[in-house]
Amino acid sequence: MANINSTVTMKKKPLGGKSDLRTRIWKYRYFYIMFLPVLVALILFYYLPMVGIRFAFYKYTPFAPPTFVGMANFKRLWSTPSFWTAFRNTLEISLVNLFLSMIISIVVALLINEIGHLRLKKTVQTIIYLPHFLSWVVVASIFMIVLSPQGGFVNQVLLSLGIIKEPIYFLAEEKWWRPVYFFISRWKETGWGTIIYLATLTSISPELYEAASIDGAGRFKQTLYITIPSIMNTVIIVLILNLAKVLNLFESVFVLYNPLVYHVSDVIQTYVYRLALNANAPDYGFSTAVGLFKSVVSCMLVLFSNWASKKVRGRGIL
Amino acid sequence: MKRKFLSKAASILMVILLVTTLAACGGKDSTSNDSEQPSKKEETTTKADDTDSKEVVKEIEKPEKIHIMMTTILTEENGHKQLIDKYKELSGIQLEITKPDHNQYYEKVNLAFASGDIPDVIELGGTNYTTYAVNGALWDMTDAWESSDLKASGIVKEQYVDALKLDGKLYGFPMAKGNGTITYVRKDWMDKLGLKAPTNYAEFLDMLRAFTNEDPDGNGKNDTYGITAAGLINSETPYDIYLREFYQDAKPDFYQKDGKYVDGMSEPAMKEALQRMRDAYAEGLIDKEIITNKTSTCRDKFYANQVGAFNYWAGYWNVNLETSLQAANPEGSVMPIPPIAETKYIERPPTALVITNKAKNPEGIFKYFIEYSHDGGEGQMLFTRGVEGVHYETKDGKTVALPYIATPEKLFEKALYSPELSITDFDDPIAFDERVTNSLKMFEENSFIYPIPRSSEVISANLPELNTLKNQIVAKIVIGELTVEEGIAQYESQGKAQIEAILADLNK
Repeated sequence: MANINSTVTMKKKPLGGKSDLRTRIWKYRYFYIMFLPVLVALILFYYLPMVGIRFAFYKYTPFAPPTFVGMANFKRLWSTPSFWTAFRNTLEISLVNLFLSMIISIVVALLINEIGHLRLKKTVQTIIYLPHFLSWVVVASIFMIVLSPQGGFVNQVLLSLGIIKEPIYFLAEEKWWRPVYFFISRWKETGWGTIIYLATLTSISPELYEAASIDGAGRFKQTLYITIPSIMNTVIIVLILNLAKVLNLFESVFVLYNPLVYHVSDVIQTYVYRLALNANAPDYGFSTAVGLFKSVVSCMLVLFSNWASKKVRGRGIL
Repeated sequence: MKRKFLSKAASILMVILLVTTLAACGGKDSTSNDSEQPSKKEETTTKADDTDSKEVVKEIEKPEKIHIMMTTILTEENGHKQLIDKYKELSGIQLEITKPDHNQYYEKVNLAFASGDIPDVIELGGTNYTTYAVNGALWDMTDAWESSDLKASGIVKEQYVDALKLDGKLYGFPMAKGNGTITYVRKDWMDKLGLKAPTNYAEFLDMLRAFTNEDPDGNGKNDTYGITAAGLINSETPYDIYLREFYQDAKPDFYQKDGKYVDGMSEPAMKEALQRMRDAYAEGLIDKEIITNKTSTCRDKFYANQVGAFNYWAGYWNVNLETSLQAANPEGSVMPIPPIAETKYIERPPTALVITNKAKNPEGIFKYFIEYSHDGGEGQMLFTRGVEGVHYETKDGKTVALPYIATPEKLFEKALYSPELSITDFDDPIAFDERVTNSLKMFEENSFIYPIPRSSEVISANLPELNTLKNQIVAKIVIGELTVEEGIAQYESQGKAQIEAILADLNK
């Protein structure tokens, strides 16, 4: 506490040059020592590797030293129509998935929070967390069986109810692929997504609910005017953090897509994977260019959402 | 002044003399080296002319150490050390083994080359072999092979060596035969339905119809179909290794026709093949989920009485398929069938054992590692069956495989080379299950080795996009979204730039 107060006091003073800096460093030497490993790790594992970004502008294969090619790697990336289809798909699939994830996770978290019976609450939580621990390969296999047009459970039910006359090949039809993908993603990840909201919900003061209850607010009003505003900060943080990852979409799509639905399912990472698979020699320059492009777009999305948050709520997190 | 001048002149003269003498010495040295070199070469040539090749081979220096990077070699916990020790004992050479995970193998090899930390010997398959060769990363072993004792011995099936030649030059030696897929059918279903192995396409379709419509599993439900596969086009060359009965003579790849490369997708044979697949799919003879199948799902369907025919690898897979099938259906049995009259099975080009251009003594490595491990005797036994007493043992004159060290529930299969796919007249003392030998024999008698894929920057830049398009179009045609004509027209118009670029590059 004393240290914090000292910092505040010192900020008010005019800077006293080198000797003052030395005094301050000496004064807070233990903090600096504690910070040192973090600083070293940051430099070693985050900042030094950034030197490799320059290879985005190089032709770099295993067989020759890197040669500078300017924007050639980016031009190659942007020159094919398939890339822009993949880029559009990545943004559409990721953003829809992100908003669905937020809404469904919040709703489920609110519902779980309302369960009064502790054992039942724990049981429900455990059950809905479980799919998160299954690998995407296993999840894809499960849903391929469930959605199979040849005796799959879903088709059997739809046929027996007379809703359809012919089985639907869900994973191979463009109009069905995305809804199915969103459903599978939510089935797998909703439970895990509720954890952070449930943690935030427990931190809301019960006094607020008691006061609202005395004022005549029912469950719905309490949720609307107390619960949701209380978790809004968490929602924004989760949104911004997830926005930074929207272009990192691979495994879930890779295990579920196929040539018939490339038009609606191919994302940047699967597109680049196919390029690498069929390319005769790896071009590290091209791979770096793809990575850099993704990072720049992700960064822009994060800055945009932070700006939007500031506009709407008066504050961001960056 | 005069004295000073003389002194300076004398000094300069001395320096000139000294420099000239040193230069002359150097020159003499280099001259003598130059003169020695030809004489050494001459000596070698004379020896080559005058004596048999064995004496020339004696000139080859034995390497002290060989660094190999391989993924198909036995795992460390299953006996790296014992293999290294035995090789050292037999050859006097220290072997250093790097074994990356199978899934990361090529990534690690590429990184090794990019970083300059290059092993002496690596294994390369398919396009990777061609790419490394055309980029000058591999040692040209043509002469070494041509003048080798191994070639002279006549024990090598040379078609496998020839399959790895690029424009007449050999950059890699086959580790084993390439192997390929063969059509397996449910023998118990065939017997029940009174069918014989089909000999032509019409009979093949009849067999599929019987599998699909005549309730071969006898459960009273219409829940079986004829044939399955993991996709319509293989993800790597040979693209048409599966579904051979439908592809027949069609090739969804660039290939040489009358001395000129053409795009097989635009050839009449491909249109006919697509029509065959489209018709069979519409009739329900082909698994409806062929587009989304993985090889594992195909196998599961085969075991689960859902499908009667399935293209899969010849050899050990015959045993694996039957064992797994019988675990679910004790009555079930599997039978490989010869190809129908209209086609042949495809054998992949062999995976190559290559010596990198950074190896200090490639001749020595070729002789003491590659030749030795294919010698049909002691060396091949070591690199195939492993170390005696560790991986196999001989009792009462009978040699049997021992269990794996790390997984004792399974018998040891191979140290590096698959014994059942040996390219030499290797007299393997360990007997195979006859299903392995039978399916391989049938495959070898009825297959051809696929040409090694070509590689260039132009192909690298254009093929991925074209293959994506090819996959989409073929899937849409077969599933019935496009007619054959519409599909091929779309392929040709949307892939025009890539097709033209690749053909121009191949035909230049």
